[in-house]
Amino acid sequence: MDMNPWGAMVDWLLEPLAFEFMQRGLLIAVVVGIICALVGCYIVLRGMAFLGDALAHAILPGLAVGYLVSAGDRGTLFWWALGTAVVTSVGIGALSRGVRIKQDTAIGIVFAGMFALGIALISTVRNYAVDLTHFLFGNVLGVTRADLWLTAGVGVAVLVIIFFFYKEFLVLSFDPTLVTTLRLPARTLEVLLSILMAVAIVVSLQTVGVALVVALLVTPAAAASLVTKNLRSMMFLASVIAAGSGVIGLYASYYLNVASGAAIVLTCTFFFILIWFGKSVMRKVKGLPVNN
Amino acid sequence: MSKSKKKTEHSWTGPALELRNLSLRFDGHSALDNLTLTVDPGLSVAVVGPNGAGKSTLFNVLAGILSPGSGEVRIHGHLPAQHLCLAYVAQSSHVDWTFPVSVEEVVMMGRVGLLGLFRQPTRKDWDFVRESLSRVHLEDLGRRQISELSGGQKQRMFIARALAQEADPILLDEPLAGLDIPSQDQILNILDDLKRRGITVLFATHDLELASRFDRILLLNRRLIAFGDRDEVLTTNNLTEAYGGTMQVIETPEGRIMIGDSGGHHGHEPVGRHG
Repeated sequence: MDMNPWGAMVDWLLEPLAFEFMQRGLLIAVVVGIICALVGCYIVLRGMAFLGDALAHAILPGLAVGYLVSAGDRGTLFWWALGTAVVTSVGIGALSRGVRIKQDTAIGIVFAGMFALGIALISTVRNYAVDLTHFLFGNVLGVTRADLWLTAGVGVAVLVIIFFFYKEFLVLSFDPTLVTTLRLPARTLEVLLSILMAVAIVVSLQTVGVALVVALLVTPAAAASLVTKNLRSMMFLASVIAAGSGVIGLYASYYLNVASGAAIVLTCTFFFILIWFGKSVMRKVKGLPVNN
Repeated sequence: MSKSKKKTEHSWTGPALELRNLSLRFDGHSALDNLTLTVDPGLSVAVVGPNGAGKSTLFNVLAGILSPGSGEVRIHGHLPAQHLCLAYVAQSSHVDWTFPVSVEEVVMMGRVGLLGLFRQPTRKDWDFVRESLSRVHLEDLGRRQISELSGGQKQRMFIARALAQEADPILLDEPLAGLDIPSQDQILNILDDLKRRGITVLFATHDLELASRFDRILLLNRRLIAFGDRDEVLTTNNLTEAYGGTMQVIETPEGRIMIGDSGGHHGHEPVGRHG
């Protein structure tokens, strides 16, 4: 054993990497973190956190059906979850537009109903408690090589879409009135953004699960928004925080033996508090009001 | 004129704005009642009337945000939805000022429709943005985050965005509300500049004295009370009709003073003087 402190540190960092499941887990945590952080910036700026959380819960029946028909094949599960998420996000929009129901009420109805349906479906399977736990809280150490490729492909697609629609999404988020006067396809852009959100949620299922995904979407973006002055730097910093939290969270999970999804989310929360506190202190030092 | 394909060709010889029997109802109440009028290109028009007269509603219809219940709207001969060329500077309270964008990025948003999908702003677009900013005297503040601007600077930023959009007509809804006198004067100077450049402007305001600076006044109270130059519009009869019981007209040696309850929240205040 090397007694040099640097050597010990390196050993400490390298030890988990000897396991292939840890390598894959770290890679997917980084990729998923970046996807969620990018999409999360729009969610934070447009105040859609509740919709994101609802969407995450509402895909459970899709997961359940995919699970029942495929006997747990990951690829099949992914497409079922994605399909459900897209249908739900478009459905919530239609419900709140069509009838006189406020959007948050519509979200509440769809969210709880779908979640209950999902639990009901999964409970028909005998050993459902274990599988339900994986859906709810993630199972980052069970990531396969195929999962990794699929997630990476999705990540590239999300990056490309955000790159090409950057200016339209910016207008949509900042000033919906301008979307109308510039004759941009408002409805199409809304749907596209919902699909991105659905995709981000579905790829996060393995790392943090249904119950915690909203944290991965919102917390890094919110932390970045405290200290950045334009959307590009907010997206960059949010990605760094989310990817870093994925890595740090997994190491914490390995050494402290805590649930990986919870460890990742707690790391995000820690970064948020750190930045928020740092900003408050800076404001105090400069004699500015804490808020705004 | 922009060479962009998306911009519908104008009939510059025709009127900038044409309303025919435009009506709109909200929940059974008449919001706009049978408006018919024509605005020639390059004119500046003050839209005045009491609170709830339908000034903002009219702007929302022109901008294509509300669809007219019945009747027709033409902007340079086209339906509102066919047009990129109208800019609407709404009352700015709805904007999230902590949003992470700089002033020049907001102004660039005006060009997003002209650019079209999948095209990034070029150097020429950024030049256009900088020129628009210098027209409203904000050339030094382009890099600022938007919350760092004062109230008047924020309004000027939105006017710059309308310029970047190469818009005509430009609709301004109460752009002077809550601004101090120097800021108001700056915006009025910018309006003079727009006029010199031949841009059609519609300007909603409570202030009748201010309104008399414009080429035309549109006096509105759900229906069109009067439309024309100030001598035609600001008559005792028209004003009494528009403001009803809340308006008093007093003849004094200095001229005619109109006292009205313009805002509900201000109580009685002089809304203008004419004579």
